[in-house]
Amino acid sequence: MRKKKKNIPHYGNVKAINYRAIYEEKFYDILGQLKLPLMMVIFVTMFGTLLFMIVNGPENAVNGLFHTVITISTIGYTEGYSENVALNRFISSIFVMFAFPLGYLYGLVKVLQVLTQSNMGEIYKYWRMYKLMENVQNHYIITPYNQITREIMADFRKRKIPFILIEQDESKRSKIAEEGYNYFIIDEPHKRAVLLGAFIERARGLITAHEENTQDLSVIVTARLIRPDKDNFYIFATATTEGSAEKMKLLGANEVIIPQSTIGKRIVSMVLHPPSPLVSNFLNKIAFGERTDIDITEIHISAESWIVGKALKDIHLRKNTLTTVVAIVKSGGKMDIAPSGDYVIKEGDTLLLLGKPENIEKAKKYLTNPEEV
Amino acid sequence: MINWGKVWSDFFIFLALTSNIGFIFSHDPYQLVVAIGVNLIATVLKFGVKKILAAELLATAFVADLHLIPAAIFYFSNFHVELAIGLAIGAAVANIISIILLIVEVIFEYIKQEEENS
Repeated sequence: MRKKKKNIPHYGNVKAINYRAIYEEKFYDILGQLKLPLMMVIFVTMFGTLLFMIVNGPENAVNGLFHTVITISTIGYTEGYSENVALNRFISSIFVMFAFPLGYLYGLVKVLQVLTQSNMGEIYKYWRMYKLMENVQNHYIITPYNQITREIMADFRKRKIPFILIEQDESKRSKIAEEGYNYFIIDEPHKRAVLLGAFIERARGLITAHEENTQDLSVIVTARLIRPDKDNFYIFATATTEGSAEKMKLLGANEVIIPQSTIGKRIVSMVLHPPSPLVSNFLNKIAFGERTDIDITEIHISAESWIVGKALKDIHLRKNTLTTVVAIVKSGGKMDIAPSGDYVIKEGDTLLLLGKPENIEKAKKYLTNPEEV
Repeated sequence: MINWGKVWSDFFIFLALTSNIGFIFSHDPYQLVVAIGVNLIATVLKFGVKKILAAELLATAFVADLHLIPAAIFYFSNFHVELAIGLAIGAAVANIISIILLIVEVIFEYIKQEEENS
C-alpha cells in the first residue's frame, strides 16, 4: 500500500475539532432514528396496496393505495372499492389489525415524536454558525465569558472586529446565546484541539481574562505553542499579581494587565487631575476607545518617504486627508507637541495623527503614495 | 464477523435493482408496486449513513424513486405504458450506479482500515 506523506506541524499530531461536523453528525443521528419507523410505514403501505390489488384486480392499484393510506392514517373518508364489499371489508379488518399498530402507532407516531423532540432548529442554528465560522479570518479568540470580556466583545462588535468566544462552562450557554455573539464555542480553551477548532492558525490574537492565573497561563502556553511568532500573533492576558504577570510575559503573552493596579492608577490620576468635563473626558474616550469615531495613530517616517525634508505645512495633510498632526516623536524619543507648520520632517520621525478612522486610513495611504488619494 | 446492519441495508439496495429489472421484463403491475416499495425502503436505509459516498448513494436512490413514481402514475392511468417502462429502465440505471458506488465504498473502507492498522 502506498503511504501518503503527512505534513505534521511542530505542535504534534493534534487534530482540530470540527464543530460543524459535530452538529452534522447530530442531524444524521436524527435521520438515523427515522429509518425504522419510515421503513415500517412504507412496508405496510406497499403490503396493503398489493393486498387490495390481489382482491380487486391489478387495474385497481390506485384505489388500493388510496384505501391503504386512509386506513393507516385513520382518516377513512370512504372505502376504496365498490364491488365484493363483504370480502373487501373482511380483508380490511384483518389488515387494520396489524397495519394500525405497525404503520400508525409505531411508524407515524414515532416519526412525529423524533421530529418534535429533536430540536432540529437548535441544531440548524449551531450548524449554520459553525459553517459561517469556517470563513472567519484575522479574528481574535476570547476566553472566558465574564465581565471583562463582555466589555471587550461589546466594543469589538461596535468596531466590527471578528472574534470567537470560548467558554468552558456549559451552564453559561443559554446566557451567551442570548447575547447574540456571532461565534462561540462551549469547550475547554486550554486544549490544542479546541484552539485549532477556533482557527487559531489564522487568528490575529488571543485574549484570556480568567479569574485564575493558572488558567490564563495554560491558555497562553497552549496558544503560544501553536503560534510561536510574537509579532504575528498577539496574546493579551490579565493577572492578579506582578509575579504572575511577569511569568505570563515570559511564557508568551505580549501584554498582561493587572486589573486591580490599573484601576488604582486610574483613580490616582483622577485625584491628581480632577476631571474637567470636556478635556479629560475627550482624552479618556480616545485613550480607552470609548469613541469609535475618533482615532489616534502613529506613523513612522522611513528614509524613502516622499515627505522627508519637507515642512509640515507643505505636505497639505489636513487639506487632503482631514487629519491633524498632534505631535511628532523624534528619533531620539523627544516629543514635540503641537508642532508648527514650519517643522521640517526628518527620517526616523513618528507622526501622531488624530482624526476619523477612515481619514486616518486615507492619510496612511497619502503618506506612502500621494497620487492614490 | 458479518455486520448484520450492513446485510440488512445491502439486501434492500440489491432488491431495489432486482425488482426494478423484474418489472422491465414482465410489465406486471404487482412487480411495479413492489419495486416502488423496495426502492423507497432502500432510500430510507441510506439516511444518516456516515460514509464517504453517503451523499452520492442517497442521490442515486432519489433518482430511482423519482423515475419509478411517475412510471407508476403513467402505468396505472393507462396511457403511455411504454413511457413507464422507459422510466423504469432509467431507475434501473440509477440502481446499478448505486451498487457500483457501494462497491467503491467497500474498497475505500478497506484502504482506510489498512492505513489505520499500519
